[in-house]
Amino acid sequence: MKTRDYVFFVILLALAAAFPFMGVPRYIIASTLLLFCYATVVSQWNLVFGIAGIFSLAQLAIFAFGAYSTALMGRYLDWSLWPTFPIAGAAGVIFSIFIGLACLRMRGIYVALLTLAISQTMFVLIQTDSDCSELNKAINPSTCVAFTGGPQGLGDFGTFGWREVLGGRNWMMGDYYSMLGLLIVALVFTAAMTQSRIGLAFKALRDNEELATSRGVSVFKYQLIVFAASAFLTAMAGAFYAAHFGSVGTNLVSFPLLLFLISMLVVGGIGRNWGPLLGAGLLMVADEFFKEFSDLRNIGLGLVVLLFMIFLPEGVAGAIESVCKRLQRLALVQHIERRLTAALRRDSAAPD
Amino acid sequence: MNFFIQIIVSGLTFGAMYALAAVGLALVWGAFNMLNMAHGIIMTLGAYFVLVWAEGWGLPLWLAGPFAFLAGGLFGAGVYFVSAHWMLRQRNFEVTIIIATFGLGMALEAGLMKILREWFHASPYAQPLSMGADSFLINDVPVSYQRLIIWAVAVVLIALVALFLTRTTMGRAIRATAQNRDAARLMGVKVKRVYVIVLALASALAGVAGIMLSSFKDVVPLMGQTPMLKAFIVIVLAGLGNMAGALYAALLIGMVEAAVKVLVADKWGFLAMLVVVVIAIIWRPAGLFGKHQIARQ
Repeated sequence: MKTRDYVFFVILLALAAAFPFMGVPRYIIASTLLLFCYATVVSQWNLVFGIAGIFSLAQLAIFAFGAYSTALMGRYLDWSLWPTFPIAGAAGVIFSIFIGLACLRMRGIYVALLTLAISQTMFVLIQTDSDCSELNKAINPSTCVAFTGGPQGLGDFGTFGWREVLGGRNWMMGDYYSMLGLLIVALVFTAAMTQSRIGLAFKALRDNEELATSRGVSVFKYQLIVFAASAFLTAMAGAFYAAHFGSVGTNLVSFPLLLFLISMLVVGGIGRNWGPLLGAGLLMVADEFFKEFSDLRNIGLGLVVLLFMIFLPEGVAGAIESVCKRLQRLALVQHIERRLTAALRRDSAAPD
Repeated sequence: MNFFIQIIVSGLTFGAMYALAAVGLALVWGAFNMLNMAHGIIMTLGAYFVLVWAEGWGLPLWLAGPFAFLAGGLFGAGVYFVSAHWMLRQRNFEVTIIIATFGLGMALEAGLMKILREWFHASPYAQPLSMGADSFLINDVPVSYQRLIIWAVAVVLIALVALFLTRTTMGRAIRATAQNRDAARLMGVKVKRVYVIVLALASALAGVAGIMLSSFKDVVPLMGQTPMLKAFIVIVLAGLGNMAGALYAALLIGMVEAAVKVLVADKWGFLAMLVVVVIAIIWRPAGLFGKHQIARQ
């Protein structure tokens, strides 16, 4: 991160803050705030995958875990949703520590397979949850709703509550700025994490693993720390998602959403500072443009992921970086050439 | 006593299906460290192939099985040429190929759903190659003839694969590549041809596994997803790349699933498998039957 990055970040921030006042239609505001939500998740995933090198596919499971935590607390304890957000975050951390302890001692490929299996287990358990729950009977005896809502999903647990504060016309603004706030926290956290001792530890491990481990840098310890820490904001993003829509369902742990988030990560550039924002932005814009072809959506996303992995595994951010580097090198070469020719001319002009 | 027989009968069936799916995955991983996330969709395609063959084209049903095997093989070769072929030189191929084939699999699945919605209007279909529920009794436990066929086909196919790998030149080339890729190449093995053949063979087996799966549950577009993940769990349990291990691990996982299904409830089966694998990996990092591949960092 250079000064240029920070300046750029502040400009983007100002734009995002002013965006709702630019007279854009309401549905664009709605999809932009969704973009912030996904960008939060992808930024944390990028930290796990790109920086710490953990090939985890459980990010979506943690996201859904946060969403369901908030939904269950809001519904069965009848709480306002705001106090449930940090609890959902903490629940996500505990969940991820369990996953981490089970998986992180293994090689990358095993982590991928096991975390994917964990997500699928979660999907299966919620999808097949069909027994009428006693807790629900206490609230509404006439209906039969499973504890997690099962395949129908769960609703009726409240929202952010901006509708009561800001009224029926402006509540979306409340949701928008809540989500933006979360994204800003996530981006600051990511930047701080990459520059902390932990970020340095991973840099050392990448540069020379033998030396780093012999100097006492424990891969497992640092990976577990990053994995657990990033789960907090991931689960919070899930909780915010639930609070925005007022309902949760098994689509939160399904393959299509995993594909959408993976494509953001891949298109943006895995392990790049600007990757998650760039990827989430590009994908959401593309999604908006190709709305009419929504039945071709997953075909397109799948092919995009495939093509990027083949031709541009560094993503758009990586491509921009390498173009910049090449231009800089070109400028340097030209500079040296100019100085050299000038020096030669001076030499030949000077009498011996 | 009866529930014990029930567990064995249904465990052997699950085991046979997972073995067909997992042996191929292990073979491909052994040959060039590729995990094919499109494996599940190939199983689904195998099941649908029979449906199209019999219902759509009206061709003789008894030929459907062998042709589904061939179609799976062609498809596997196709997967190689659109993904792995271009990525072999990438630095962390193991990881990038998973993401790439995940994308490919999702695209194929979405495409399949789109086509099928036009061809077959109602989604779930009965598998034409199924014998139905006809059964005989062992000690009051009904055992369907369908299960006998599944066991026989699985045993024959796996025996054929074993013969192919041990008795033919190509089989020897595959094993050589799995042991040491560079040495094999230096000895004149065309390793890229090995990759194609291995992926085709794995996908052919997956196609047959798909037919078997759909003979119990119906043919539906998403049917391959969970079995693929179970096959992945099997090869992790066995130690990646260990084919004989994958066979035993598939039977073990099948028994675990059947036991949970009979004694507790169907839906906890997947969780139980996962717990078994995590404990097994913590206990033996190289997998239950692994020798070389170390799971730990």
